[in-house]
Amino acid sequence: MMPPIRLMFMLLIVQAIAYVVLSLYSRSVRKGKLEAAWEEEQLTGDRDAFIQKGLKDYDGSIRRKLILAVFIVPQLAIGVLIYVTNFM
Amino acid sequence: MTYVKWILILLFWGTIGAVLHYTLPQYDIVRVVNTEVRRVDFGENSLFWAQQDAGQEGAVSQNRDVRFVEAFRGNGRTIVYRNEDTGWGWPPYFKLDSSNLQAEFRDLISTKENPQWVAIRHYGWRNEFMSIFPNAVSVKPVDSVDHRVINWFNIVFLTLLAALFWAVWVRWRRFRAAKIDPVMEDVSDSLDAAGDAISERRGRFSKWLDSWRG
Repeated sequence: MMPPIRLMFMLLIVQAIAYVVLSLYSRSVRKGKLEAAWEEEQLTGDRDAFIQKGLKDYDGSIRRKLILAVFIVPQLAIGVLIYVTNFM
Repeated sequence: MTYVKWILILLFWGTIGAVLHYTLPQYDIVRVVNTEVRRVDFGENSLFWAQQDAGQEGAVSQNRDVRFVEAFRGNGRTIVYRNEDTGWGWPPYFKLDSSNLQAEFRDLISTKENPQWVAIRHYGWRNEFMSIFPNAVSVKPVDSVDHRVINWFNIVFLTLLAALFWAVWVRWRRFRAAKIDPVMEDVSDSLDAAGDAISERRGRFSKWLDSWRG
């Protein structure tokens, strides 16, 4: 039963890389949006504090946790594929 | 240069297209006439064969027995499929039930006079020059030879793939416009400036030469 274990191991590595890259990308997009919001609404006061607060809100958001789906969706798809191909 | 560029672009998309065409499932409506097992010695075409049955992938041998399915299409032409486990490898069909599938094929064997048409889901190519065969993934009996199967998997998969390509492409363009183009413009600007300076100096030099010619 080595091949399925090896497959899962390789998949986990790829997923971990995808998770890190997606997280960094998503956070930078959020930062860009916060900066754009600051410009657009012409807010006054501490710009850095505004962005820090926005990013902190983002860190606790469901949106960020949705990136964890990277670890769930492929495994689920493999399970469905195995069932459909062999047992349906 | 433009020819080289276009050839490279064509090669790139041609390769992607070929891999997709080989790997994605397709449906054939055929009449099964025989199933068999024969030993195959893999040569240059080994790329186009899958692997040992699941659970015995570790076996090290240059040949093994492969299940085959012989069939006829509606237009009377022959088509031969192999029936191999893809197991946990490529392509990711996770097909582990080749033996069961072979039993289903045997059950669906029919004669020319009293044909039982079946829809075979398969991937891969038949090529006589390389002795390669499409790998049958599943089989279902259908009413007539005119039966059409809607390939939902390919519709969904290709749509998602196109969406992914588009998303990456748009972000890359945006990134290039924001980060790379300004730098390149800087470089070409300063090259232009250097070129101007040289030609100006050349102009002054030739004027000075002209002043001697009278």
